Amino acid sequence: MPTRKLPEKSQIVIIGGGIIGVTLAHELAKRGEEVTVIEKRFIGSGSTFRCGTGIRQQFNDEANVQVMKRSVELWKKYSKEYGFSFKQTGYLFLLYDEGEVEEFKRNIAIQNRFGVPTRLITPEEAKEIVPLLDISEVIAASWNPTDGKASPFHSTAAFALNAEKFGAKLVEYTEVKDFIIEKGEIKGLKTSRGVIKTGIVVNATNAWAKLINAMAGIKTSIPIEPYKHQAVITQPIKRDAIKPMVISFKYGHAYLTQTSHGGVVGGVGYEIGPTYDLTPTYEFMRGVSYYFTKIIPALRELLILRTWAGYYAKTLDSNPAIGKIEELSDYYIAAGFSGHGFMMAPAVAEMVADLITKGRTDLPVDWYDPYRFERGELRGQALQMG
Amino acid sequence: MRKLDLTEKDPSGRITIYFEGQPLKAYEGEKITVALLANGIYWLTTSTEGRKRGAFTFGPVPMVVNGVRNVNARKTAVRNGMRLERQGYGDFQEAVKVDEGKPVLRQVVDVAIIGAGPAGIGAALEIQEHLTVALIEERGWLGGDMWLKGLPQEGFEGEPKGVIKGLTGKFNESIRVFRKTIALGVFDEGEYFLVPVVRENQLIEIMAKRIVLATGSVDNILLFENNEFPGVFRRDFALEVMNVWGVAPGRKVAVVGSRPEDVTPELERWGIDYVVVPNPKRVEGDEKVERLIDMNGNVYEVDAVIVSDGRRPDINPITQAGGKLRFKRGYYTPVLDSKHRIRDGIYVAGSAVSIKPHYANYLEGRLVGAYILQELGYEANPCIYKERLKEYEPEAVPIHRIPFEEFNLEDIQICGCDVSLKKVDDVVKQGITDLQIIKRLTHLAMGFCQGRFCLFNGAVVVSQRTGTDMAKIDLPVARPPLKNVRMKVTAARG
Repeated sequence: MPTRKLPEKSQIVIIGGGIIGVTLAHELAKRGEEVTVIEKRFIGSGSTFRCGTGIRQQFNDEANVQVMKRSVELWKKYSKEYGFSFKQTGYLFLLYDEGEVEEFKRNIAIQNRFGVPTRLITPEEAKEIVPLLDISEVIAASWNPTDGKASPFHSTAAFALNAEKFGAKLVEYTEVKDFIIEKGEIKGLKTSRGVIKTGIVVNATNAWAKLINAMAGIKTSIPIEPYKHQAVITQPIKRDAIKPMVISFKYGHAYLTQTSHGGVVGGVGYEIGPTYDLTPTYEFMRGVSYYFTKIIPALRELLILRTWAGYYAKTLDSNPAIGKIEELSDYYIAAGFSGHGFMMAPAVAEMVADLITKGRTDLPVDWYDPYRFERGELRGQALQMG
Repeated sequence: MRKLDLTEKDPSGRITIYFEGQPLKAYEGEKITVALLANGIYWLTTSTEGRKRGAFTFGPVPMVVNGVRNVNARKTAVRNGMRLERQGYGDFQEAVKVDEGKPVLRQVVDVAIIGAGPAGIGAALEIQEHLTVALIEERGWLGGDMWLKGLPQEGFEGEPKGVIKGLTGKFNESIRVFRKTIALGVFDEGEYFLVPVVRENQLIEIMAKRIVLATGSVDNILLFENNEFPGVFRRDFALEVMNVWGVAPGRKVAVVGSRPEDVTPELERWGIDYVVVPNPKRVEGDEKVERLIDMNGNVYEVDAVIVSDGRRPDINPITQAGGKLRFKRGYYTPVLDSKHRIRDGIYVAGSAVSIKPHYANYLEGRLVGAYILQELGYEANPCIYKERLKEYEPEAVPIHRIPFEEFNLEDIQICGCDVSLKKVDDVVKQGITDLQIIKRLTHLAMGFCQGRFCLFNGAVVVSQRTGTDMAKIDLPVARPPLKNVRMKVTAARG
């Protein structure tokens, strides 16, 4: 992967080399724009590196459903073109009471309206999909076979490689230290490896977004806070024992699936923060074990190999802030993905590239309006796992 | 006597077990792996990529025991009539018994000592007059690596097992010993440290004011072709089967690695025929080692190979507990303050700090114990131990140059989970030199041993291929659990 000298200038600079920054650079470069990504560690090293693999269209509002429908189209297209694995093994939400079923019926109606083929299925049908499930308390499940999973690391690497082929520059181990601003206009960025001249900057730093906003002197309140979320992986078992992502809100807001390597991976909704600390906790290991073994009893006899932590960069309504910040010329933000940024990345790249190159986009970007916090117009809580 | 028995076992404990349907003689109390070895059976499991594996070097040993899959054969004792079968790594038990498990126990002590080798024993002895201790030991015996030895050790008078028994015989009632108990990690709870431990599927939460990591060192894994084939023994496993269980690794063995002298006197003591081969290239055989071929093309007909290549501190407990590392004398070692602490409240002693004789590790345990006494307001005299410890200069461990061009890299296993040296080398040759990325791309250090036996060699590959100083290579830190734990254990309520 690339470690390159900082160019003297670049029309567009993206701060942050995670999946969001990299897919955006890829999209812009493909459109012929001159773009540079500045990453303080290595490409994919932040939350992308620690994320849980899931890609779903089962959201509870029109905007997210549309955006994710587009995103899945792009995941399909690029995984094929670039040869990384994206498997449409589905998302299975286990439901345990009538209240949950009613809520999911509403969600499914919205999803169906935009062509996402989610169905309410019986516990027996759910068990056919994942034979290891304990369905004794399950009364129904929400199932969309077109949702899926991909390796965050390999997909990010593939987008990075191809972004470079289109001429994007990816500069690793370089940290942005300050903005150079004259009369409300961005002139460049000061970095740990010198100055880069630019007029257009995108803040794609997610958990660190508020630090970059502060550097840019942004007065608009865009509350994005880092929260510690944790994940676990078990010993590898035979492939395809658990194909889809299995979700259970009843049991700890748990999500779990099997990686391509065979380990069972996932997490629960145990949140600590705001904090930049990433030390895995004992409480998580206990909680995740309890909830996972309730959902799939066979996990009882599997060995836990490792736990780790990463950030959810959370906003007040669990939706990201995506858009142009008017108080500084040509400053954009795409951050605060609240635990589901990986899956959104290809569509977000398209939206932000549209905004930069055309000033508008056909995707419902207004839902993610960065000014909504200040206006007090929070959206309905986006469905968040883990 | 069985095929590889070195000693006559107590006939009253004689039982019959079945391996792949074939009846075999075994003795009560023996581990599955040892009982099978005594009968001449080496190949016990098959890796995900179809490689035959034994029990005595890296990688897990899952077996089917009485129809139950994925049982750890290293930790399970034989029972009369037990039926054993081979399985692949990925086989698991789909139908499981669901119960509430054992209720979680809690214990409050002044000091939790993790590891009961000479250092852990030394620390416990030093503080037992004033403080309560939980002494946590993964293995079934106290004395650590020293217990594996049959010959007198420098600094101590007499046969090692006798010395250990003499020392542990002095334990008073304030020392609570946990044998066959793994520690999952050290967690800072502010007022105290929490050390969750597991003994026979029982979760015990130990709360302690101070921690001693007497967690020892691990044997180096030597890189040669088919280095994880059944019949290859790590030094510690070879000593264990001989000196703890009275079973020979083989009738004729080859000793490889830079420290053959750590093994050959023991082989002589038992009258086992051996040959020292300084430059191994490859082992071959059908179901187990039948021959060793060296770099010069010499062929040695042997039925086991013992790798004795020195030891390096186990860095996992150090980094999980929040310690930093530095590279010195050929290994990564914890950064300590003047009182042997990696941070407030967490002390390190023994070969977890540096490689030196058992007696020096014992002294270091006493030293750390004395520091703890002082810190908690009791009279102690660490200076005596400090002075005596100075007589032992820690050993340097040589780093081998890997002769890449002379090996078939695909056949060399760098990590027990099907990671070949080729896989890692290919990634490094692409210019990827950050071990964090190498981990993700190759799965190095992501398996059962959590990097204990492979991360160092990964760093060596990077260093050798890029010319980077080992001191400048950033090692990924260990995450809990420090040792693999079954999910049902941590799922227990209460």
